[in-house]
Amino acid sequence: MHNKNIWLYLKFPLLALESVLIYQSELSSDKPLAIISSHKNVRRIVCCNDASKQWGVEPELSLTTSLAICPDLVTFTENYSQEKLLLQQLALIAYRFSPEVIIDTAGLWLEISSCEHLFNGYENLLKQLHEQLLQQKINVVNGIGKNPLAAKLTCSDEFQKTVPKKCEIHSNLMATRLDNLPSTPKQQRSFKQLGLNTIQDLLKLPRCALSQRFDQVLMDTLGLLVGEKTFTGDRFKPPQSFYNEVQNPQGLYSKESLLFPMRTLLQQFCQYLAVLQCHSLQLEWTFEPLLGKHQKIILSLSGSNNSWSNFLNLSRLKLERIDLPQSIERISLSSNKFIDMPDLNVDLFNNQFDLNKEEKGLIDNLSARLGLEALSKLIISNEYLPEKASTLEPIHQNLDSKYIISKSYKPIWLLAEPSPAKWYKKQLYWGKPLKILSGPERLCGNWWQSEQKRDYYLVSDSEGSRYWIFRELLSNQWFVHGVFA
Amino acid sequence: MPEKSLLNNLLSRQDTWKGHQYHLSKNSISTGNDHIDKFLLGGWPLSAITEVSARQNGIGELSLLLPVLKHYTNKGKLCVWLDPPYEPYAPCLADAEILLDKILIVRSKNTKEWLWAAEQIIQGNALLFAWTHQINPNYTALRKLQLAATDNLSPTFLFREISSIKVPSPASLRIEIEGVRTNIMSLLIHKFKGKVPGTRIRINLSNKLLERTLLNKLPVNIRPPKQYKGTFSLPATVKPQHLNA
Repeated sequence: MHNKNIWLYLKFPLLALESVLIYQSELSSDKPLAIISSHKNVRRIVCCNDASKQWGVEPELSLTTSLAICPDLVTFTENYSQEKLLLQQLALIAYRFSPEVIIDTAGLWLEISSCEHLFNGYENLLKQLHEQLLQQKINVVNGIGKNPLAAKLTCSDEFQKTVPKKCEIHSNLMATRLDNLPSTPKQQRSFKQLGLNTIQDLLKLPRCALSQRFDQVLMDTLGLLVGEKTFTGDRFKPPQSFYNEVQNPQGLYSKESLLFPMRTLLQQFCQYLAVLQCHSLQLEWTFEPLLGKHQKIILSLSGSNNSWSNFLNLSRLKLERIDLPQSIERISLSSNKFIDMPDLNVDLFNNQFDLNKEEKGLIDNLSARLGLEALSKLIISNEYLPEKASTLEPIHQNLDSKYIISKSYKPIWLLAEPSPAKWYKKQLYWGKPLKILSGPERLCGNWWQSEQKRDYYLVSDSEGSRYWIFRELLSNQWFVHGVFA
Repeated sequence: MPEKSLLNNLLSRQDTWKGHQYHLSKNSISTGNDHIDKFLLGGWPLSAITEVSARQNGIGELSLLLPVLKHYTNKGKLCVWLDPPYEPYAPCLADAEILLDKILIVRSKNTKEWLWAAEQIIQGNALLFAWTHQINPNYTALRKLQLAATDNLSPTFLFREISSIKVPSPASLRIEIEGVRTNIMSLLIHKFKGKVPGTRIRINLSNKLLERTLLNKLPVNIRPPKQYKGTFSLPATVKPQHLNA
């Protein structure tokens, strides 16, 4: 019945604490820190770090007692949603090591036998995974088994960097104390009365005898443990959009203090992008105060760069332009517009790829600081009227430019509105007297609405400045429309 | 020999003026006109700021730079126009074989934004055409841009008011353009390595401008249309928008 699967269980003993600390730049782990939760009007320690354990603080201790023995203890209330979000983030990291990841209450399961060749051995896989988690400042221990439950039960107090041999995996499971087996207190008492201490003791007994003494739940658990039943946990799949938030009940009062939690959120976002193998086209930041209206920042991106430092720089530029509420309690980051990662198979000696990346990076920077409305590109079309042949459009708008090159002389500048010129005693004036150099070129257009017929001339003044001037045939009026710079 | 290396470092800087340097500079790009290339010892200086001040608009001050624009846009380099005084006319640039996809127009709201954008564009290795008609950058700001430009592989052009010529500037090349008469402009150097300030050259523009068509020889009637008095005119009550609907 045994298959070749090897399951790794990652247990995060300080998950509750780390889910709070990850966004607190000013707190160091040297200080005694603890997470508390309230149950039946008594506040008890749920999780505490090594510094507080040295003072004698431990889980299940009441808050009053803990503060009595360690007056400097810094406490935070347990935040389940934050823990869940952190676990999702850790699952994203794990997903880069195995396609089969299952989320547990305070841990993760990974099936690693299919990835042994990819990482050139289990040792490399475990080493890289451990390094990744340590970079995130996450405490982790692990267990290895032939099925998910066995891996969880054999979880040790430290991170194992090698996968034991098959016989060792089995003997480790058999030697596991029954205290760890998911069971009721009554069942635990029965184990003691029967003199059963380890899993091996329990499994030695005939299954029919056990089924008479214990309920179906325990029998199912044993079935899972020996591989007679398959584990049916939901496999983790990366979500199609990204959302994460940071809560800071004390409030953040300056733009500089926002940068640390923003950086953490962006690092998590980049891990998400790496898993999805895509680039982001838009980021949305929301800054919520305790009271009052929240403020949103939308960052449009060209999708050229996926580094968190680049995103942070752009967000910082955007932040400079807005007024934030006095105190920010919650920061959230979301994104749901992605493109596939660009193909990197470019010519080794062609620097076009770098040029485009540099160009897109510059456009991202400019639009973040000056606003998208400050940037525009020139669009040309085969229209007869000059004001329709050349238009300025937003940069992210994809419009086709169609134009047939002509040899007629055209000005570099076009006035936003044609400026009226005077025809007086057979002489043209626009501030100064003008002399016609060449023309006319007749341009007609807009015949289906209000027809326009214009004769365009190239004129110059006494100082050599040249202008593009037209006579409106219907009204017989003269206008300056362009400047030959 | 620390003194010698210090001297070499100083001499290798872009902004160090070396006397008797009259040979053609390798660190320049052709202007597209042999006379101007010779006059500017090779062309527009690279990795440096060039200040262009025109006595009046419309004398061809920007057409001088169209060959450079064509060169860089065709190489795939982005060209940013910061605060141009008018809207560029796309068909003119397209006729000059300039890739419009590579032209970006940027508008700033104030001096601070202008300076920041100019520095970013130069550092982003793009070709910058910047107009200062809305702002008046001081020496320190220009010095900052000049230093940033030393790392950029292309030239940087600042179009400044003629009044700014009297104010000192760290730009490598300061040039004044004047329209002598129609189709003839004069370039006057105010500052350039290897050239005496006050050196002048006259440039003849394209003869195309003089191709004037006599109006009475046109194949079309250019007189304003007269009111048609026939019986086929539309009833006065019908307006064009009704026809569209």
